[in-house]
Parts: sequence; C-alpha cells; structure tokens
Amino acid sequence: MNYSSKIIENAVKALSGFPGIGTRSALRMVVFLLKRPKEEVNQLAESLMLLKTTLKSCRVCHNISDEEVCNICKSPNRNHRQLCVVEDMQDVMAIENTAQFNGLYHVLGGVIAPMDGVGPDSLNINSLVTRIENGHFEEVIIALNPNVEGDTTTFYIARKLKTASVQISTISKGISIGSELEFADEITLGKSISLRVPYQV
Amino acid sequence: MRINNLSIYQFKNHKDFKIDLNTDISCITGKNGQGKTNLLDAIFMLSACKSYFNAIDYQLILHGESSAALNAEFYNGQQLDIQLIIEQGKKKKLKLNGKQYDKLIHHIGLINVVIITPDDIELIKGNSDERRKFIDLMISQTDRVYLNHLSEYHKLLDQRNRQLKLFADHQHFDSIILESFNERMLAPCEYIHQKRQTVLKEIQAAFKQYYRSFQSGSEEVVLKYESALNSDSFEILLKSSLNKDLAIQRTSVGIHKDDILFEINGYPLKKFGSQGQNKSFIIALKLAQYHFLAETVKQSPILLLDDIFEKIDEERAEKLIHLISQESFGQIIITDTHAERMRKYFENINKSTKFVEL
Ligand SMILES: [Zn+2]
Repeated sequence: MNYSSKIIENAVKALSGFPGIGTRSALRMVVFLLKRPKEEVNQLAESLMLLKTTLKSCRVCHNISDEEVCNICKSPNRNHRQLCVVEDMQDVMAIENTAQFNGLYHVLGGVIAPMDGVGPDSLNINSLVTRIENGHFEEVIIALNPNVEGDTTTFYIARKLKTASVQISTISKGISIGSELEFADEITLGKSISLRVPYQV
Repeated sequence: MRINNLSIYQFKNHKDFKIDLNTDISCITGKNGQGKTNLLDAIFMLSACKSYFNAIDYQLILHGESSAALNAEFYNGQQLDIQLIIEQGKKKKLKLNGKQYDKLIHHIGLINVVIITPDDIELIKGNSDERRKFIDLMISQTDRVYLNHLSEYHKLLDQRNRQLKLFADHQHFDSIILESFNERMLAPCEYIHQKRQTVLKEIQAAFKQYYRSFQSGSEEVVLKYESALNSDSFEILLKSSLNKDLAIQRTSVGIHKDDILFEINGYPLKKFGSQGQNKSFIIALKLAQYHFLAETVKQSPILLLDDIFEKIDEERAEKLIHLISQESFGQIIITDTHAERMRKYFENINKSTKFVEL
C-alpha cells in the first residue's frame, strides 16, 4: 500500500503485528484514532505503556498482578489448601469465569516443548515444587490443555510431586482452556473442574 | 467413490485446466511433459492433502506464481465439493462444500484413491520410510484413531529427540522428563504396531492372489512385518535402549524404525527380483491396498494409473485390464503416451469410457 505519510505507515505497521489484524484493519484503526480527541489517544498510549512499566507478575503464583503479591493469593476468602496449575494468565481468567474453583493458582508460563526450546527449567516448575513442599496444600489440580505438550507436562509435574503428600488430579480429558478458550465454553470447563479425576503416576 | 470433474489452477505446469471425468474409465493421453501425471497428483492431493511426488508444497505452485488451487466435485452418495488452496508462505487450506477444515487431517479417509505409478519402484528400491509411508496411508484412510496416534507419536518423537540433544548440549540429564515422553508414547506406539501387524496379515492373501495373476512361475512372495515390537513391549525397548539413545542423541527404537520386508522365495526382492517380478509385485501390492480399502470402507476407491501401460508388457497389460474392468472395481483414471494403445485396450470394455487427448 502507498501511504502519504511515514507516520501513518509506521502506525499501520505496528498495529498489523497484532494477532488477527491485517494491514487493512490496521489502517482502519489508524483512521479511527486520528478522529478521536487527543486526551483519549493519550490515555490509550498510557495504559499500553503501563502494561510494560508497572505490571508485575505475582511472586507467589506468577499470575499477572499490579502488586508484589496478587489479589487471589492475598485473599482470605479463598481456599488455601487447593492449588490449580495452569499454563498462562488467560487460563486463570477462563477458570475464574466458571466460578467453579475457589482455590489458588500457579501459572507455569508455558508447557514443556523441547522443540521450542522450552524445558522444565524455563517454566515455574521448581517454584511450584517448593510451594507445595512448604505449604499446606491438600490437592493440586493440573489443568493443562489436552495436547501432546500439555500431557507431557502434566506427567512431569505429577512425577515431581510424587513424594509430596498431596492429592493430584486433572481436569477431564479433551477439555481445552484459556488460550484455546474458543473451544471450551464456561459450563464444560466448569464441569470438568468440579468433576476432576485423580491422577496416578 | 466418484470424481465428476476437476479444475486445476496454477498447479505444477498447469495454468488453468478443466476436465470432466464423468465416465467409469477416463484415458488421458498426451506427450511427456504435458502434465498428465500432475492431473493424477491433483486428484491424489484432494484425497491425501499432500502430493504423491513432492514433499514441499510451494514447489507445486506454477513457476512465477504465488498460489495454486485445485477444485473437484466428488460423489459418494452425496456431492462433495473439495477445494485445496496452496499459497506461498501459508498453510494449505482445504474446503469441503465451502467450509474450511480446522485441520487437514480431518479430511483423510473421506475421499479414497489408490495410485499406481512408475515411481512406485521406490517401494522396493528405497528406504524403509517409503514402505512405512505406504502402510500408514493405507491404514489412515480407514482408521481415524490410527491417524491421530501416528501424528501424536511423531510429535512426541520429535520432542524426545530434541530433548536427547539438549541433554548432550547441556551435559545434564533429567530422567523424569524422558519418562514423561516415554509414558505418553506407549499407547500410540502399541496401537500402531498392532494395527500394522493386523492389516499386513489381512492383505496378504489378496496380495498373493494378485501377484499370481500377473506372474505364472512358482515363486513364493510374502510381505513380512519387521518391528522390534514383535518381540518386546515398547516400554521394555525404551528402557533397554536408554544408553544408546543418549549416546546417539535420538530415539533408536519404536514404530518409526519398522519395515515391511518384500521377499521372494525367502530372499529380499530388492536383490533377487527380476524387473518383471518387481512390476508384478508393485501392482499386486497396490491392488491389495485397493481391495483392503474397498472391503473396509465398503466403497470402491478411485484408481489412478499413471503411465503403467508404457512399463508393462502386453500380456500383463491384458491381465490388468481384465482385472480392473470387473464389476468390483470403481472409477479408473489412466494416463498414457499413446492414444492408440488406450483405444485398443479400452474401446471394447463393458464400461463407460472416454478418451481425452491433452
Ligand atoms: Zn498470586
């Protein structure tokens, strides 16, 4: 495409890097922004900047958080004896939306995939083991997506926790969560959490 | 299974090509290099989602263009419009009656074809992966579970092999991670092994009978399944090969090492088969595949014969024509360099036949 301005061209390029956004949609967004009041665009830019400058990850569960320790970890109303292990923050949101789980979370930050250079050491698995060993958890629910990498990671974690005195369970087979949200509706996901099954290794 | 028509756009050496295929037998003739084989490959692709001849998709696009499209109307009791789009730097897209598949693998088994081509001599001369490809395609066309297990097994195998490399690179070994891959590979591996064994046993009789109809000698031919899993479970094999796997940094046991031995009188066909015997062997093997598919899915596949009559003598040709013109065979599409030869062979057959010159 031919742009009359280098500034517009750069903005279009930046926006078309978003998932699902092509050049044409990016241009529409740029045109839209041009028509908005300056304060509004400022606010948008600022809230985007904050994602990178202020947002932290909770040092206990590694979920995204505004503070050192997130609201879920801090809450006295949650069941501190149940822990749900998930791949990323989107999974936390998906499970929270089902309202079927009131325990705590542990965000791995990915799944084991040597082909993509992700081994156990680049995930939050060691901190999970420490957390279980030092905590008072009774049950760990591993809620990873039902694919090759997810299953491998589930097995790996279950093996690592074999000597810890916690009940390990998994959500029903075939249920996809957060990052594959479009495939799992809230009701099915909610059911699969409340009807979770013990996992043996 | 029938194909009614085929359109090809910017695929291999075809710019824009359409053909009606609404007869029992279509004989397509033309000089070499006019793209006869590519027509059959297009039909094969609409069945298997990949080319029979080229492993790399973008090489299928007409030189100088950036995309190719194949379109055909099939019929299996209901009309199936299949469209395949290949674009440079993108994943292939496949549509059934206008609706795009999430995953190409969901399409496998819907349209069944069997192709016989001079290149099939590689089944005899080539490496074991040629023969595994053959049996995997044959079974995948009839068993969704097999196909899923096969795809998972290979994903896990890739991961496991990469992990073995990482152990060596980092001088660090974690037995639990290897165990995690092993554990997940057991079920797919055992299923695939079982199924390959069963199917090879199942096609043996038909294969021998077909071979006998092309070859009048007394030689004994056999398809023998070679697999370490014939004698040990995968779990035991993995355990006993651990040190070797760590040393060579890849997985040395499993169904990816299987082979089908082609034997003639107890000796390898590769070394002891005459040219005639090799040809009879391949055609018999492919017809056994045809027979298996027809029996299993209760529907005759489409048979694609690429330049076969060029390569076999008149006696074998007549036997082949006699076989395939029987009631039990469905639609057949044939390519050849000689229009006259095709007319001579197929003009008086009791099936609807058309002759097309490119
Ligand atoms: Zn937290």
